[in-house]
Amino acid sequence: MRIQIDGRDVEFEPGETILEVARREGLEIPTLCHDPRLDPAGACRTCLVEVDGWRRMPPSCATKAQDGMVVRTRTERVGRHQRALLALYLADHVQGADACETGAPCELHAMAAKVGAPTDWTPLEPVRVGRDDPNPYIEFRADRCIACARCTRYCAEVEAVTAISLVGRGSKTTIGTVDASSLLDTSCELCGGCIDTCPTGAMTEKRPLLQLAPPERQLEKVRTTCNYCGVGCQLDLNVDPATKKIVKITSPPVGTPPNDGNLCVKGRFAYEFVEHPDRLTTPLVRGEDGALREASWDEALDRAARGLMGVKERYGADALGFVSSSRCTMEENYLVQKLSRAAFGTNNCHQCAAT
Amino acid sequence: MAGLVTTFGAGAMTNSIREIRDADFLFVIGSNTSEAHPIIAMEMKQALHRGATMVVADPRAIWMTNLAEKHLRLNPGTDVWLLNAMAHVIIEEGLTDEAFIRDNTEGFEAVKETVARYTPEEAESVTGVPAEDIRWTARRYATTERAGIYYTLGITEHSHGTDNVYALSNLVLMTGHLGKPSAGMNPLRGQNNVQGANDAGASPIFLPGYQRVDDPEARAKYEEAWGVPLSPEPGLNLNEMMKKVGGQVKGLFVMGEDIVISEPNVSRLEAGLNNVDFVVVQDLFLNETCRFADVILPAACFAEKEGTFTNSERRVQRVRKAVEPPGQARADWEILVDLAARCGADWGYTSAAEVYDELARFAPKFAGISHARIDEGIGLQWPCPDDEHPGTVYLHEGGVLRGRGAFQAVEFRPPIEMPDPEYPLVLSTGRTLYHYNAATQTRRGLGANAKQPAAFIEIHRRDARARGIESGEMIEVSTRRGVVRCRAIVSRQVRPGSIWMPLHFPDARANLLTTDAGDPITGTAEYKVCAAEVKKLDAATLDESEREPARFRGSYYAERGPV
Ligand code: SF4
Ligand code: SF4
Ligand code: FES
Repeated sequence: MRIQIDGRDVEFEPGETILEVARREGLEIPTLCHDPRLDPAGACRTCLVEVDGWRRMPPSCATKAQDGMVVRTRTERVGRHQRALLALYLADHVQGADACETGAPCELHAMAAKVGAPTDWTPLEPVRVGRDDPNPYIEFRADRCIACARCTRYCAEVEAVTAISLVGRGSKTTIGTVDASSLLDTSCELCGGCIDTCPTGAMTEKRPLLQLAPPERQLEKVRTTCNYCGVGCQLDLNVDPATKKIVKITSPPVGTPPNDGNLCVKGRFAYEFVEHPDRLTTPLVRGEDGALREASWDEALDRAARGLMGVKERYGADALGFVSSSRCTMEENYLVQKLSRAAFGTNNCHQCAAT
Repeated sequence: MAGLVTTFGAGAMTNSIREIRDADFLFVIGSNTSEAHPIIAMEMKQALHRGATMVVADPRAIWMTNLAEKHLRLNPGTDVWLLNAMAHVIIEEGLTDEAFIRDNTEGFEAVKETVARYTPEEAESVTGVPAEDIRWTARRYATTERAGIYYTLGITEHSHGTDNVYALSNLVLMTGHLGKPSAGMNPLRGQNNVQGANDAGASPIFLPGYQRVDDPEARAKYEEAWGVPLSPEPGLNLNEMMKKVGGQVKGLFVMGEDIVISEPNVSRLEAGLNNVDFVVVQDLFLNETCRFADVILPAACFAEKEGTFTNSERRVQRVRKAVEPPGQARADWEILVDLAARCGADWGYTSAAEVYDELARFAPKFAGISHARIDEGIGLQWPCPDDEHPGTVYLHEGGVLRGRGAFQAVEFRPPIEMPDPEYPLVLSTGRTLYHYNAATQTRRGLGANAKQPAAFIEIHRRDARARGIESGEMIEVSTRRGVVRCRAIVSRQVRPGSIWMPLHFPDARANLLTTDAGDPITGTAEYKVCAAEVKKLDAATLDESEREPARFRGSYYAERGPV
């Protein structure tokens, strides 16, 4: 089956939306409420396109491609619609990209700039209300919310706990919880998926805000693998280039295996330990008096080597046990078994939690 | 793990995580997926959103049972009965894949004979699962093309863990649900790099890449590479090693683990540790095991070093350095290189990538994988035998890797310790969403402390009432091996007669309670079943902070918590 988009003849699989076919072809259509992980909502109307023979412009994210359809994504009418719509959204948003983007980059500002939407429409009085929530991780900033419902749909469809939902009507529509309770007292699992999917930074990490960290676009992202469970989610450590500290963790784009842009509470938020004052910062050796004291690397490594070799001399290599760790890297596990087998001559080497 | 190597020829998830969303039938057993593997649970939720059917077999009413078509609430430790009875139904009703059995497997007759005795009716009396539910599940599993099995420690952490894996493998083999997308047999790994640590040879019987130490050819290859003779004697597995600490084992090197929290029957282990000559601990924090250490080496964490982790779906992925380690802490691999040099082994690695290259060179499964290749794109899934190979999405596509899939007839063996009048409750241990293992990392975080601020057990209302216990109160749990104090949560998740306890909390170490009776093959201890008793603590013995009931906010465990 085929459709025509902007003059190109394109094949598609039954069930694909116009947006999916267009994106596969590398055609850009602006979207706000769309996230490939979610069922199409057709709520924000940014993605409207013209279809020959249709009087109204359908949302491309929620309209299935049909055989023989002729679609136009960049006509005068589509452009006019995009500019007016985004200008309207901007009027009900934090004014100016710099003021807005204190956290994640704002897709609305970027998109408005791209389609050339006027930025001088009179700002509306902010009417949407947020709320204080003592949860440690997630902040909702109502003045940035465009009520696209990505967060609430994510919470219902992907995380399947429905801790947050749209509340209120019309221009007062906002994101709330049952009885306006703290997320901590709801079924929320603090996965932070609502933050990840939010296009405008309305749902955002609380700690970087409190720490007055630089906005996300100034941070350096280092792609790495989560150090908790065996899913091995890919994540980006966002490092402040000035302080060389981790400011927050974000998930890579949707589609990146194995986690498809999702993370859990541990992967996204439980990195406080990295900079915890309890971290060991120097080697320690036990003195004659039985107490631990600080030592140089030279001294500590010498003691360790002599101690282990001593046991081998006195009782043989099989009196040694090497406990390796499923928390450490492949390389480190390889080296522990090599140490055990090649340097000491015993196969008494096992990782903890061999299950 | 070892179980799957025996039956299929490779101990890993047969399929990829991304395939779960396309499955039509999900059989989840012994896996509290939404807490232990939230991302896998999201994949399952997507499959269900699409219309798939899920059956959860678990003694507890875990969160996933909300979405399950059926919850098979089996008595702890009776998995073999349940699984054999499912096999019984599949054979009896002629739902086996005869062609697959004939062409790809061996040993079916023995299984057929054994499971003939495991009727669903009798299974009902042992497992507590209605015979009709067993039949229904067996039929649905056997007759759905894309039917996958997902399991975790609820299957393996038993004295008969390997039997459980065998019984599951039998189901896979007799229905031919192998070598296809969105089907197969999928052990979900608890730790980030359990798979990788096994792959890398941190095992008493396997050299890297599952090459046996008692195989002269494999050994010869490494003897030549490393330039030293190697011992042909399989070593002690962790369970044996821990039991022999202070006896045969006089010296220990422990990297990145807190054995006196994570190992079972800790009191005995601690007694042993007082009798060893020398202990080296290498870790991020001054952990509990450090009390016994002669030397403690400060290590870098994952964000401070280079390397790779291998996930449950066999994908080798990069760990990259983003920040500097604190103070003088160093990457474990660098420390190991220096330590080896002082023990007379000059290895000469200058980067983690070089270590990986050596690992890959002698282990054919990983030969095509390198840091450089991963850096060009995304992680690669083994087997990946050469530089051009794209990696393997699901295993056993062109036939079972082992040659023929090995059926293993297994008989039910009861758990080592059953409840009795003195210890009338069955204690299982497990993990929660907010904490992680010994919690050395998560307990230093805000979220975990807001949601689960204190150690707790879950107890059924009936058992709580009989003991005069209210939710949030301090109680004492005891077993033949020890006593710990913690909070009680009166919970709808556990059934009467059972209690459940997370093992994360150092001030209430679940492993003072557990037995170290291990599986004869893997040595994995029976963390899931032991006999216990609970009693309310006399207010006079409590300190100020303990008298206030603890709050577990928005707890799914609570009897009247959010769903
Ligand atoms: S953090 Fe996750 S569970 Fe909580 S509201 Fe956001 S999406 Fe829902
Ligand atoms: S983010 Fe969560 S699910 Fe993903 S690997 Fe980390 S712990 Fe596992
Ligand atoms: S993206 Fe299509 S309507 Fe919002």
